[in-house]
Amino acid sequence: MWSKRKEDELPPQRPEKPASAPVTPAPAVEPHRREVTSTMSSPSRTFEPEPGIRSGSAALGKNVTVKGQIFAREDLTIDGEVEGTVECHEHRLTIGPNARVQAGLKAREIIIHGSIQGNVDATDKIDIKKEAKLVGDIKTSRIVIEDGAYFKGSIDISKPSPAKAPQAPATPAQPPAASQPSGASTPTPAGTASR
Amino acid sequence: MKFGAPKGASSKTSTKDAPATLTRHSSGFDQFCSMLKTQENLSILDMSGASQSNISFVTSFGHRISSDDIIGTMQEVLGDDFFQNQQAASTAQRFLEQTLTFPDESFDGALVWDALQFLVSPLLEQTVEQLLRVMRPGGLMLVFFNADEKAKQLPLYNYRIQDAKTLLQVPRGGTQRSQYFNNRMLERLFEKASSLKFFLTRDNLREVIVRR
Repeated sequence: MWSKRKEDELPPQRPEKPASAPVTPAPAVEPHRREVTSTMSSPSRTFEPEPGIRSGSAALGKNVTVKGQIFAREDLTIDGEVEGTVECHEHRLTIGPNARVQAGLKAREIIIHGSIQGNVDATDKIDIKKEAKLVGDIKTSRIVIEDGAYFKGSIDISKPSPAKAPQAPATPAQPPAASQPSGASTPTPAGTASR
Repeated sequence: MKFGAPKGASSKTSTKDAPATLTRHSSGFDQFCSMLKTQENLSILDMSGASQSNISFVTSFGHRISSDDIIGTMQEVLGDDFFQNQQAASTAQRFLEQTLTFPDESFDGALVWDALQFLVSPLLEQTVEQLLRVMRPGGLMLVFFNADEKAKQLPLYNYRIQDAKTLLQVPRGGTQRSQYFNNRMLERLFEKASSLKFFLTRDNLREVIVRR
């Protein structure tokens, strides 16, 4: 009777743990990564959003100073100091009550509680709260300004172009003539043969 | 003829005895609106500070509006003592540097409201010169002056547009008047303008349309 040798009773081989990332390569850019190309003076660490700011949006706290360009692909709240430009296309930009911004701003919607010196361009709407101070030119489709807000500058309202109405036919269709009376001359449409 | 403050006048701004908000019909503003309705792509200056009603009204015609709170600048730069501080060249210069800082011929229309009646010489003439500088030829300015010769205290108002003929006067304090302006004085003040048109109203407000 043959018995299994102990060396035959090897435990089943476990697959080796991969030393690095899984087989499928990670995407080059994580879809929700914040791209903030700017110089931040504060040490980089996990930012804890202030209460009231919904998750999924970015925020610069009141003790943060940024000099440079900010590009955001999600809603952004700024409550610190910014010098440069801020672009937040297709998203909402909120300027908090402690913010002091010397920058040009571009976003879909801009809500202003703090102080801005610079031009503001919102494709949809600008909302200037009563404690806000804005010196600069505004370009937007809609504007709401509360009593008490300070604003110095010009306002250009650029309303979105309305959908084109269906064009009425230029001329009504003429019924074809049954017969041409002798001697009568009627203009022949271009491209048709006259008889 | 110089425009000067009466001797011993002080100009403490105060909210005491401030009148209530007033609604008034304005023939001058009605005339100003004729320009808004008949022309396109105008650039209008509102010197009563930014307000939802004024912005909505002007932009509803497709025009561009600029806001500048001249009374606010006066209070900030000239302080409580309007008249005394206007006389100081450095203070007057600071006021001019902060108001009407627009390029030449920037505007087709200006709603100056009643701000000019609180200024005295030489700052008054300098401000009028700046106004004419920023207006385009043919542009219209709407200016108000209190016509009550006996009034010693004048309220400060924010002017809010209700419609093409109606204004809302929202009080923002009061001050002692600098001087009384009659028609002759106003003609001299705006002598560089091409024309003046006066509207005298029942509530002692002289409305003037000045054409650059």
